[in-house]
Amino acid sequence: MEDHELVRRAQSGDDRSFATLVRRHERTLYATAYAITRSQWDAADAVQDALTDAYLNITALRDPTRFAAWVSRIVVNRCNGLLRRRSRVVPLEEPPEPQAFVWDGPEDGIDLMRALQSLSPDHREVIALRYFRDLKVDDVAAVLGCPPGTVKSRINRALASLQATLSRDHSAQEV
Amino acid sequence: MNCSDVRDSIESYITDDLSDTESAKVAAHLAACDGCATAYEETRALVAGLSGIAESFVPRERFVPERPYAPRPVGGWGWRIAAVAASILALLAISALSVPAIARELPLPLAREIDALEQTNETLKEQVDELTVRLETIGGVEVAIVDTAPGDVAPEVAEAVKTLAMDFVRAQYSGDLEALAAMGTQRLRADLTAHPEDYLRARDAAVVFAQMTEPVDAGDGTFLIFVRLSDSADWVDSQYQEDFEIKLIDGVYLVDFMGMDA
Ligand SMILES: [Zn+2]
Repeated sequence: MEDHELVRRAQSGDDRSFATLVRRHERTLYATAYAITRSQWDAADAVQDALTDAYLNITALRDPTRFAAWVSRIVVNRCNGLLRRRSRVVPLEEPPEPQAFVWDGPEDGIDLMRALQSLSPDHREVIALRYFRDLKVDDVAAVLGCPPGTVKSRINRALASLQATLSRDHSAQEV
Repeated sequence: MNCSDVRDSIESYITDDLSDTESAKVAAHLAACDGCATAYEETRALVAGLSGIAESFVPRERFVPERPYAPRPVGGWGWRIAAVAASILALLAISALSVPAIARELPLPLAREIDALEQTNETLKEQVDELTVRLETIGGVEVAIVDTAPGDVAPEVAEAVKTLAMDFVRAQYSGDLEALAAMGTQRLRADLTAHPEDYLRARDAAVVFAQMTEPVDAGDGTFLIFVRLSDSADWVDSQYQEDFEIKLIDGVYLVDFMGMDA
């Protein structure tokens, strides 16, 4: 069943359909929140809070085909809220290995994620929405509230800077 | 199309977001220009790598929406203590449940996750050990107590505050509004009358006291305590936290505020 059909069912009160949407999106939402907050724990909190928001407000989503972008926006909002709060308290130290999540991907994927974490907040955000959440440029623009042209150039700069980080890491390993 | 135009279009070319005409122009340039062809290959590999790891993050926490007794904004006390205690409890929620006595009482899937964590989480367990978590029996129930502010509050006061918080939670689950009112200050009773649904919990859910913080003395006769709870109902298991403000009024401890935290 497609997302928009599940959304319609969830909107008429079918909790199982909502739970299916959660299972379908939780990994990429978590990856996105982790890229933005750079904290495994904050990412889990942000996704949990965002899914609660989504559950309570699902009837407010007028166009069910926009669910992916809509829920991404809620996650971005929750992450930014957490980051604002975290800037006033001592953050928990991140362990060297993943603990709040299990890595179920290629070995070099972790290195790519580390490189991504070294980018600026704007760049991490746009990369996560575009490639983790697989959103079109227009949808990324809608989520971030900026023109599609800005998104495009931000993506290009982010990729360039990620490429530079990776080749720097790579040559450092060879020395 | 010059090199600079092509570089700007490479990402859209890879993700197939260009018109056929534009796409053909980029392809023609790439065939003829080594520099742009190299840039294209690098970007293509990078985009493929990023798209390839999107599904690789399997969060340990099972995300479940809260039931419609929606969380209320937590207010009325220092955000700093609240935020610190919340983050400590969030950490413990994932790890310190490995205290076996607690794990046994939890719904099965969570207990299984804890088993897995126990095997892999040495570092985190050390961090948690440093926070001093100890088991304490309060009213016949074993609860993990987190020492967020050791020595801050006299033992008999701490005992009274913890017992009150636990009795309050029990009354929430048994749906006993009268008992809740009797444990509350005037301010809480007014709120309870206006929004009873904010205080009542799913009747058929089994509640487990996962952890509690040691009470913190906020001055002016107010104590803060955070209780991490786990319950299970029909289609969801959930973990959440209740934040209490407890006041000593005429020799009696009363709940002045209770807020839910995800
Ligand atoms: Zn060229």
